[in-house]
Amino acid sequence: MTAGALTTRRRSIRRRPIGYLFVAPIVLFFVVFVGYPFLRSFYLSLTSWSGLGSARFVGVRNFQVMADDPVFWKVLGNTFLFTGVTTVLQTVLPLLLAVLLNRGWRAGVLFRTLIFIPAVISLVVTGVLWQLIYEPNFGTFNEILRGVGLGGLAHPWLADPHTVLPALMVVSLWQSLGLFTLIYLAGLQGINPSLYEAASIDGASPSQQFRSVTVPMLRTVTGVVVILNLINGFKTFDMIYVMTGGGPNRASEVLGTYLYGLAFGSTAGAVPALGYATAISMVIFVLCLAATLIQLRISRRSADVD
Amino acid sequence: MSTDAPTTAAQAAAPGPAGTWEALPAPGRSRRAATRSAGYLALIIISAVTVFPFLWMLATSLRPSNTVFGGPLVPRSVTGGAYRRAWTQLDYPNHFWNSVYVTTATVVIVLALATLGGYAFAKLEFPGKQLIYVVLLSTLMLPITAIIIPLFLEMRSFNLLNTRQGLILVYVGGALPFAMFLMRAFFETLPDELIQAARVDGAGEFRIFARVMLPLAAPGVATVVIFQFLSTWNEFLLAQTFISAPQYLPLQPVLYGVVGQHSTDWPLLTAALTMSVVPIIAVYVRMQRRFVAGMTLGAVKD
Repeated sequence: MTAGALTTRRRSIRRRPIGYLFVAPIVLFFVVFVGYPFLRSFYLSLTSWSGLGSARFVGVRNFQVMADDPVFWKVLGNTFLFTGVTTVLQTVLPLLLAVLLNRGWRAGVLFRTLIFIPAVISLVVTGVLWQLIYEPNFGTFNEILRGVGLGGLAHPWLADPHTVLPALMVVSLWQSLGLFTLIYLAGLQGINPSLYEAASIDGASPSQQFRSVTVPMLRTVTGVVVILNLINGFKTFDMIYVMTGGGPNRASEVLGTYLYGLAFGSTAGAVPALGYATAISMVIFVLCLAATLIQLRISRRSADVD
Repeated sequence: MSTDAPTTAAQAAAPGPAGTWEALPAPGRSRRAATRSAGYLALIIISAVTVFPFLWMLATSLRPSNTVFGGPLVPRSVTGGAYRRAWTQLDYPNHFWNSVYVTTATVVIVLALATLGGYAFAKLEFPGKQLIYVVLLSTLMLPITAIIIPLFLEMRSFNLLNTRQGLILVYVGGALPFAMFLMRAFFETLPDELIQAARVDGAGEFRIFARVMLPLAAPGVATVVIFQFLSTWNEFLLAQTFISAPQYLPLQPVLYGVVGQHSTDWPLLTAALTMSVVPIIAVYVRMQRRFVAGMTLGAVKD
């Protein structure tokens, strides 16, 4: 829309400035609390700074340090592993559950109400609660294993580097299953029932109907779920910070907790590495941006197909 | 949970009123009934696993302290003692009030500014509108961890660290673009004729917004309020980072800190958790549909 088109469409000069008044507060808040910090983080990532005195410009050195930092690579690997597994689980399982729920059940509303509860609870409460459940000696998880005769599997789940990430993935799934299921359900309810009728007249079995009607019709919704999972995974912080703090021995350290520790976790007397931590935050930003752009491309292409 | 299971499964095995399989021949019918019971069973197990941690939390919070470890799952005797201790030892009323104050202020400011802006982007014309809109929405997917450090430095230079007001301002700034985006979508569905008629009657633009259009956008308002209430009440990272003075801490960082200090007092821990979720679950159960709408729309952002 060009300015010329605007003037011809609306000649009332009186109405023009009032629009600015309406949006001015948002723009002001945005500039101060989002836009400026965002732009400044680009600059900060090119500096070396402990937070006192003034920042020293060091060019791309933080990124060179990053490339040689074995902890960074381990943390990046953890982040990708956590994101990859949770994205697959939290895309597929909610879809299956939504299809099941969508078949119509007498207690359907009750089921929906119950599975959605974790989505309204804070990740701190979730984390603390599951920390107690995973507690090695008295935690319910091991108690249940012992109760059903599988006591040999009882395990310090969060204290073992091999089980800590899977244990966190389980909590992530528990927490987000209801939310993604209801997103899918909304999508399912938008599918025209005549498509299923046509398919069943053609003799398609329920599983064929799922593959040839449900899955393609939910392409857009699935895209949204995937991108949300990717972004949630890349930026994940609260739950892991609360439950393990990135331990044991960085086995569950992800980008978010690593940069947070570098910037704010220096109670032990280490110097805050604000420049380096900001450089790592840039990595999170780039990963989320990449996920968003890929999703935009795919949804645009599928819109063309439709 | 477990007591409900047999009856519900039995109901499931009996043919329901759905009538979807009446046309099927008998063998198909019984197979259909079998898959239906399996489906019910799956739903019951999934709901039970989802709800179990909350029931366990509640049960543990009501236990006398000396029966927590090794006792049966359902406590034999219950006591509210842990709630009393959490209330007094953790300075709970103060933190609870901080959460209420910060959340309420954030919701009110976000709602006021987001409806104004959303309305303008939907219904008013002004030069540069499209550009401003795109810029505001460009950071919708920007994770807070990516700007936490510059935000911290900014708050420090404004002398707003360790203040609830500072936290409110940051929350509002972070939440506005998305809330505006939601409100714009709601205002777009309203007909322009209402505005034109009001203009003919000589009403000013602000009056048209506040008296004519805003009341019609009530569903959008409810969605924004619920989504904002939830995300502010549950926010942890910024509260943990910007506030270190104990007297100003809202609930989430307190709940996080409690684990370290009282790691063996499980009734106290679970009582503190329970009190923090009760307001949310109470509102959720009453306004379920709006919650789901708010959250699933909100998910696009979070």
